[in-house]
Amino acid sequence: MPNLILSKYEPVSKMVVTKKPGARSQEQVLKTLFIILVLAFLFLPILILVAFSFNESQMNIIFTGFTLDWYKNLFENRALLEAFRNTLLIAVLSTLISTVIGTISAVGFKKYNFFGEKFVGKLIYIPIVIPEIVMGISLLAIFTFFKIELGFFTVLLAHIAFSIPFVITSVRSTLYSFSENIEEAAEDLGATNFETFRYVTLPMIKPGIISGAILAFTLSLDDVVISYFAAGPGTNTLPLYIYSNIKTGITPDVNALTTLMLVVTILALFISSKIEAQTLSRRQGK
Amino acid sequence: MKPRLDPFKLLTTIPVIIYSFFLILLPLVYIFFISFFKSDNYGGFEISFSLKNYLEIFNPAYLKIFAVSIFIGLTTTLICLLIAYPFSIFLRDKSQKTQNLIIKLVMVPFLTNSLIRTYGWITLLRKNGVVNSSLLSLGIIDSPLNLMYNNFGVIVGMVYTLLPFMILPVYSAVSKVDQNYLDAAEDLGAGKLRRFFRVYLPLTLPGAFNGSLMVFIPAIGFFFISDILGGGKAMIIGNLIKNQFLTARNWPLGAALSIVLLVMTFGLVKLYEKIGGNLDELGGG
Amino acid sequence: MKLNEKTKFGIVGVLIILFVSIIFIIKNNNKENQFIGELNVLNWTSYIPEEIIQDFEKEEKIKVNYGTYSSNEELLAKVSSAAPGTYDLVFPSDYMVELMSARDLLEPLDLEKLPNKQNLNPLFLSQEYDTDNKFSLPFLLATTVLIYDSSKLDSLTSYRDLLKPELKNNVVLLDDQRVMIGAFLNAEGFDSSDFDDAHLEKAQNFYKKLKPNVKAFDSDSPKTFFITKEVDAGIVWNAEALLAKQENDNLKIVYPAEGFTLSMDNYVILKNAKNRDSAYKFINYLLRDDVSKRIVEEYPYISPNKSAENLSPDELYEILKNGTYIKNVGENIKKFDTFWANIK
Repeated sequence: MPNLILSKYEPVSKMVVTKKPGARSQEQVLKTLFIILVLAFLFLPILILVAFSFNESQMNIIFTGFTLDWYKNLFENRALLEAFRNTLLIAVLSTLISTVIGTISAVGFKKYNFFGEKFVGKLIYIPIVIPEIVMGISLLAIFTFFKIELGFFTVLLAHIAFSIPFVITSVRSTLYSFSENIEEAAEDLGATNFETFRYVTLPMIKPGIISGAILAFTLSLDDVVISYFAAGPGTNTLPLYIYSNIKTGITPDVNALTTLMLVVTILALFISSKIEAQTLSRRQGK
Repeated sequence: MKPRLDPFKLLTTIPVIIYSFFLILLPLVYIFFISFFKSDNYGGFEISFSLKNYLEIFNPAYLKIFAVSIFIGLTTTLICLLIAYPFSIFLRDKSQKTQNLIIKLVMVPFLTNSLIRTYGWITLLRKNGVVNSSLLSLGIIDSPLNLMYNNFGVIVGMVYTLLPFMILPVYSAVSKVDQNYLDAAEDLGAGKLRRFFRVYLPLTLPGAFNGSLMVFIPAIGFFFISDILGGGKAMIIGNLIKNQFLTARNWPLGAALSIVLLVMTFGLVKLYEKIGGNLDELGGG
Repeated sequence: MKLNEKTKFGIVGVLIILFVSIIFIIKNNNKENQFIGELNVLNWTSYIPEEIIQDFEKEEKIKVNYGTYSSNEELLAKVSSAAPGTYDLVFPSDYMVELMSARDLLEPLDLEKLPNKQNLNPLFLSQEYDTDNKFSLPFLLATTVLIYDSSKLDSLTSYRDLLKPELKNNVVLLDDQRVMIGAFLNAEGFDSSDFDDAHLEKAQNFYKKLKPNVKAFDSDSPKTFFITKEVDAGIVWNAEALLAKQENDNLKIVYPAEGFTLSMDNYVILKNAKNRDSAYKFINYLLRDDVSKRIVEEYPYISPNKSAENLSPDELYEILKNGTYIKNVGENIKKFDTFWANIK
């Protein structure tokens, strides 16, 4: 199950690139063109889905004319709204739970030697690397074995199950970047384990926790394969709703909903980079 | 001396032990057991021990699906590498601000549902779709190409869905390569290709392998992409496993196939560790 | 992406608040139509118009959780892998009713609770697969048909005609193992439920010859392939063919010369169903004359409901005479599973 941690991919080296002008400019143009083409490839289907959210025809096949009706219809499609609500609810809950468990576990891994530590340490990589379908069917099998009825609870449990390892690795990467001395100093000064965790460790690993939480949230929001096996009749999630409707054709109200979600997330990204730029310039100003 | 039972220790270790036992180990062990059971043809199974399910995988029809999946997986991985490397190297020349912006743009597709993005490809690839009608009107082709309902369509869908998973680790590795090495190589007269193979490639190998794992493994399992773009016949291992559970009602065979897939995955991960990859970096964590 | 920690925290906070409020808004919105009951239904794709389900929900205040499947085999797999009581009402075809009742998966129907069963044409009652309608009542009759684009192809009358070289990569088939294997068996002159090994092998060879012409397998919406002119011919369900023809007048529909499949889909209530009363209410609702009529207006299958008849008695007679139902083959089902796995 692939994933991304936003902060991970920022370029580490702030190397100055010496550009040689003149003869190379044509090459530069070609390079830029390549980058633009790759981005175009990534955005083409998204543009299509946005365009079809304004399509008059109910069939997502041929563009027949412009309308905003689907944005209105969207709010009358109970099944779609309910699937959307389930998706958000599961994403929020699984993010909260897996972030809490993942964070304390990362601390435990660093701080303690415990029974089966090495083995458990290896086990938690499994959900990250194994094909989602194997994770999905193994969870389905175990739910059936314990006669747990498939439904909201099993989907939530499955999402927690695949999110925890991502939170652990994310938190761990920040956890190992600072020295244990600070925690030891706090304990020498008489702080209890809980106090050290609360006032020393937690503030330091916050970035890792937040990255982990964002990751868990995005993974949960878009999961098809694992939910497909873990869901019961009464719990549709948005990806599952779309998957079952793909068979007969997606109606444009789904496009409308996706477009709205896209706008919200892009706005969030945009605002975040604005704030980021401001803080950066403020810091540089000092 | 510390008390024997440190409540903080219990709090930070017990949940992960319980979690990894019940939600990772136990399900996989159970699947492992099922893979030796006998199917009753109706969705249940009888407890027994036989290697029959594993032998059944050698049925030529299944072997063919394995071969086709591996072909699709490798082609997808290769295409992603061939896009991600130049993309990252070219991007390196840009200003820091541009780099950040473009990497953000690469991640935007993740924020939209992957199914509906794949569905968008139908509009592009079908017989009278956007691609074919553009090529026809430009006079490049005289009859529509078959761009979907075949392996080609599935590969396009896989590359599309998985490309960011290659670009991000490769870009991260490429951007860390010290400019001094490149300058030194250039000063010593190394051409572009030479610089790529002698400087970039060795230094970014773990990153590239990380990306390849994150592309290859899903590419043999993402049944929904071959469902949508393969027309129900270009099947990958993911479809085969799904069908065992959801139409053929043969859990033991599906379990055996999953175990084989699992062993393959573990082998690849071991290889990744061998060439110096860090497990914590897999998929970015 | 470099996000300052506080910013990230802010974004996460704002998003959580946003999402939680959306969840509550949607939840409160739903409260307006307070439900008093629930019903878990699994049905074929494109079989009941969504508006009918919504009308039922409003009328009876019962929330319908509606899932779909594409073949009887998928239905069986879903029902047998889920915990008992997960689904209440499903719509298996003839042979699957027999198989499911033999596997003790069905609850006997209490016909007293279904007064609208009087609307059914007796011609479709007490069939071989469920004599006395102990477990099932007929819902809709589907048949397989051949469909082709007459602007591309002069004529097409039999399964064998699908082998024509000009149809290369131009045929769509149903993604349904028993129905398709039945057609291949028919093409070779055998009964559609024949499980003789030699005959099955002949059928497999027929498919091998057909394979280069097959573009896709699709049971859910094969009409789309014809509306978008993606293929020129295919074996599809009758209603899908009629719906495609509405959009593209060049399409011609024929009953294949070698025989075709009749598929009567039935209401059955599953053993251990938790919402039995809701299931009876829903069945009774669907049996209503006006509702049956609306269903076949949207999906023009053959309704067993007297007032929703969309065929003349003669046409119906012809279809019932020439088509065959698929039969339950017991343990030999394995042969069909293997056949299907080998060709896909």
